Amino acid sequence: MTTTIPSTPDGTAVDAAPLPDPRALDRLLAESAVPGGAFSPAVLADLDAREAFPAEACRTLDAFGLPRYYVPVEHGGALDDFSTVLRLLRAVSRVDLTVAAAHGKTYLGAISTWIAGDPDRAARLGRRIGEGAVVSCALTERHHGSDLLAGEVTARETDRGWRITGEKWLINNITRADLITVLARTDPAGGPRGFSLFLVDKSRLAPGALTPLPKVPTYGIRGADISGMVFHDTLVPSDALIGEVGRGIEIILKALHVTRTGCVAMSLGAGDHALDLAARFTTAATDHEGVPLAELPHVRREVGEATAALLLAEATGLVAARAVHALTPEMSVVSAVAKAYVPAQVDDLVARLLHTLGPYGLLEADTHGSFAKLERDHRIIGIFDGSSLVNRNALVDQFARLARGYRKGRLDEEGLAEATDVRAPLRPFRPQALSLLSGTGASVLAGLPAAVDRVHDLAAAGAASDGLARLAGRLRQATDRLHEEMAAVRFTPRAVPGHAFELAERFELCFAAAAALHLWLHRPDRVEEAWLRGCLVKALTDLGEPVEDSAREDLDTLADALLSAAPGTVPSLLDSLEGTVR
Amino acid sequence: MPESAEVETHTAESLGRWLTECVASHLERPADTIDASVPLSDYGLDSLYALSVAAELEDHLDISLDPTVMWDNPTIDALSKALVEELALNN
Repeated sequence: MTTTIPSTPDGTAVDAAPLPDPRALDRLLAESAVPGGAFSPAVLADLDAREAFPAEACRTLDAFGLPRYYVPVEHGGALDDFSTVLRLLRAVSRVDLTVAAAHGKTYLGAISTWIAGDPDRAARLGRRIGEGAVVSCALTERHHGSDLLAGEVTARETDRGWRITGEKWLINNITRADLITVLARTDPAGGPRGFSLFLVDKSRLAPGALTPLPKVPTYGIRGADISGMVFHDTLVPSDALIGEVGRGIEIILKALHVTRTGCVAMSLGAGDHALDLAARFTTAATDHEGVPLAELPHVRREVGEATAALLLAEATGLVAARAVHALTPEMSVVSAVAKAYVPAQVDDLVARLLHTLGPYGLLEADTHGSFAKLERDHRIIGIFDGSSLVNRNALVDQFARLARGYRKGRLDEEGLAEATDVRAPLRPFRPQALSLLSGTGASVLAGLPAAVDRVHDLAAAGAASDGLARLAGRLRQATDRLHEEMAAVRFTPRAVPGHAFELAERFELCFAAAAALHLWLHRPDRVEEAWLRGCLVKALTDLGEPVEDSAREDLDTLADALLSAAPGTVPSLLDSLEGTVR
Repeated sequence: MPESAEVETHTAESLGRWLTECVASHLERPADTIDASVPLSDYGLDSLYALSVAAELEDHLDISLDPTVMWDNPTIDALSKALVEELALNN
């Protein structure tokens, strides 16, 4: 039998295997969770206890074809919709965050090459990833934390290529990786144009060119390969340079605008896992008087609030992933909001569930220690790819522009509609549209007043409840006030006032609630209002706005939805919006 | 912050004056202590903060700029020249 191998325009062969169905991943994960399977809770708990790498689980994901979703279609992969990656990484994270961080790192490691690398190099990398190559990304160094401009690893050009010298440290997968994206100083004076990115292919190096550093014991994701690498005047070929010399900081900042949506996927999966474990415990356990926990009002309220918290986080993550395509120039704002808000929200809901259910024996009832493990594992997500502090600082730096844009109602209407309507086809992602500063501001918020007007119109026509209209109106008022306060913030470089960070947190809450509202308005039938009201109640509460006790009853509706769901499922906006059941 | 005039022909000199005022206001120091030939980072204007100055420039000049113009032109002198060229291209 002869086979025709399809080719890309540059003549390179592409993988002819049929594309894996993203929805089949949930089935595969369920099948692999049987006793002894690579994704069984006992096996994963044992690996964690031994701080051992989940190699079998990663091989299972490779065999499924997950790496092909890390590679854009134009480079021979299957990635044409960033919300698909969100869904896939979330599914893996729902089972185990160590596996998700270990496997998903390739998605983060390769992105600079998609954004700025030349097409031939990108096609080669795409092929390698399709074959199972692991790609890491080495930015940080032992003494400089998040301060990339202080990096001391250098690269100097010679007539045979580039020579890289120095140590990268605290890097996920750097020892296991086949290829590493490395940020190195190419101008001794440094500065924002003083660094460049290199894609280092370990298989093309002279022996002894690299020394891996020992695995660093970590609080969470204990089995992950978190280590470092010493480059010994390592010679790499000229074509290892990604983009132009001196563009490294710009490229990596733009890459983070995209990869932060991948971190959000991990948080959402951890949130799903936490809610599922909490729901199963709540429906099975009783208090010391034999009353089922599911009947205790304070437990129901807490579980309902946690469900609302996750729905808000999901709305933010979903809109952020779609915004990569639809609102690309605004990603400096959108990605910062998503990365600061979603992991913090999930950390908070995990802590609160533990606080409420812990005294009834949540951890003791959890045979494999899954809840305690996810609580430990998830702490790292807030730090990956820029901490909450870094992201909030990025928002504060854009306050003046954001406040002006909101006041003037400056928005990209078409992009906003595409980002917030899950049925709308997404335009292809154009990396060249990424910008370090959002020219428009934030369309999701600038579009809020019109969305709230629409809710009022619907309520007047009897197609939405008065309760929803009241909540939406209150969100609008809170958002108006917030932007006035943002406009009044003045600061000199490196002296951001503390209260500006609080404003950034309120900005995230308004954004999350607005995202949920836009998503609901795009639902053709606009039913299931309760989840939206629950989201608004939660956001307004966190904003410190007054909310009537009667409105809080929507949180109990969400608690009922969670507690009556089948094990392994939690209420999801995607299911509700697409009319599908996972 | 200096306001943009209704109709204004920008020259390297006028832009340099506006930029000096703008940077001085951000750094909270007198405009006459800022040397237009010294990199702004020497005055503590870090690279991310500089991007937000690019946002003000866009609004003042009513043009769309790649904010990295601040990185490619680290002094007020260099920035003024680059902006005049950018404005010529826009017109």
